[in-house]
Amino acid sequence: MITAENLKLQYTDGTEALKGIDFQINKGELVYITGPSGSGKTSLIKLIMGEEKPTSGQLKVLEHTMKTENPQGIRDLRQKIGPVFQELKLINGRTSLENVMLGMRFLSIPRNQWKIKATEALDKVRLGHKILAKAENLSWGERQRVAIARAITRKPRLILADEPTGNLDVENAVNILNILNSLRDEETTVIITTHATHLIDETAATQLMHIENGLIHLNGGSHS
Amino acid sequence: MKTIIVNLGYFIKESFITLKTNRLSNFLSFVSITLAFFLLALVITTWIVSLQIIDVLEQEAEFNVFFHEAVDEPSRILMAESISDISGVVSTRVVGEAEALQRMEEILGEEAQVLAYFDENPFDAFIEVKVDLAQSEAIIAALQEIPDVRSIRDNQQVLDQIRNITRIQQFLGTLFIVAAGAATLVVISHIIRQGIYHNREQINTLRLLGAPESFIALPFLLVGLVMTVGGGLLASIMTGAAINMGYAQMSGPIPYLPLPTQVVLIRNTTFIIVFLSLLLGIGGSVMGLKTSKES
Ligand SMILES: Nc1ncnc2c1ncn2[C@@H]1O[C@H](COP(=O)(O)OP(=O)(O)OP(=O)(O)O)[C@@H](O)[C@H]1O
Ligand SMILES: [Mg+2]
Repeated sequence: MITAENLKLQYTDGTEALKGIDFQINKGELVYITGPSGSGKTSLIKLIMGEEKPTSGQLKVLEHTMKTENPQGIRDLRQKIGPVFQELKLINGRTSLENVMLGMRFLSIPRNQWKIKATEALDKVRLGHKILAKAENLSWGERQRVAIARAITRKPRLILADEPTGNLDVENAVNILNILNSLRDEETTVIITTHATHLIDETAATQLMHIENGLIHLNGGSHS
Repeated sequence: MKTIIVNLGYFIKESFITLKTNRLSNFLSFVSITLAFFLLALVITTWIVSLQIIDVLEQEAEFNVFFHEAVDEPSRILMAESISDISGVVSTRVVGEAEALQRMEEILGEEAQVLAYFDENPFDAFIEVKVDLAQSEAIIAALQEIPDVRSIRDNQQVLDQIRNITRIQQFLGTLFIVAAGAATLVVISHIIRQGIYHNREQINTLRLLGAPESFIALPFLLVGLVMTVGGGLLASIMTGAAINMGYAQMSGPIPYLPLPTQVVLIRNTTFIIVFLSLLLGIGGSVMGLKTSKES
């Protein structure tokens, strides 16, 4: 479902974030991407979402060839993704519920499902009591969980969670990772980046990808 | 399309949030839009009025043909009949001295007392000739051929002058409408750009979530529409008040001006202004969206 060949990304200021990586991720996998700060994890996520275009090399996500994909194609791809951004990207001034519902408004999910699904997801991330709180009034860990709720309600074919446990205590972090792990099925692929290698359930993962300085250093996992 | 319909409530809410976040700036823009529409409405009003005046004057075009005093009653009737045969003449009627006096008394109203100072009726009889204005020149030529015709009084010159004034007024009015329209477009597109700038993070998030551009743009389009249509309506109300005041002033000194009724005038002006505001609102918003996408 995702293939990369000699994939490179150089930002306009000359920074080489990815220096030629190769990997393949199949449908239904659970992949952990680890690596120190600044190694290129978010850059890879941005390439997969079409936020950045590959400088060279090949990247295919679902049916889309990222280097040449047009805006409409990128939009179609994004509608199939449930993203959790590292900087969360919630809308301030709106409640948790509104933020979660916003992720569904332009998908093919029927209108009468929006509120039900959003409430369920917020319960699942243990935020049932914060449904009507404004995003800016939540703690970072709470906001992180709203972002996760927004991602999972979209019924995505691909979940891209960039550092979803960054600011959570161990109990909440494990809960979130369990939720994300449980979303993986035959149709749903889950990709998670994290520093917190000690929390990773290695038996659940199908692939462990370690990035350092823009290169993949170790690629292992239960199924590869 | 379906996405837009099921999200109407969301769009309305979003557009009010945008209106609220920039309250003072949006209020001032609203004031300038309203004033632009008010000036536009005044131009359009005078336009409608002058067209109506011309129309009425043209319909009522008539010449007064005066003849020598020696012409007696039966010859007058014969003369009127022969004038009827001229092509372009709609009808003729002999107006005797007494009727001429009576008409003037009606026109003068209370002032008619001055007529009492004359020892005898100072007015001459004449033949009233209703004509088709398009053929007026040929008719005048034909009338001048008739022996015993002393003089012809026509309102040709007055009409020509009014027509000229109207032409200038229409030219200036068009210029004005274009200028005020452009000003409104600029103001609206600026408001939209400002709104987009303030919401740029939210817009970026929506794009990353795969929202269609129409979904992202619609709240801003609504903001533009609320501002212009609101401004247009307020301007229409102000114009209505101005028209009422104008009519109250005018009915004294110029009672014979064939003005359209107030209700019709206000209705037509309001219709045109609201229609224009819709058009300019959509145009300005689209312009704002387009130009902020490029930057
Ligand atoms: N927009 C950008 N322009 C220029 N350089 C960038 C940009 N974004 C990231 N970089 C650089 O690219 C490199 C990789 O950054 P990236 O954000 O992918 O790291 P990361 O692995 O996600 O780090 P972290 O764990 O801290 O989130 C870093 O050196 C960073 O400074
Ligand atoms: Mg990162």
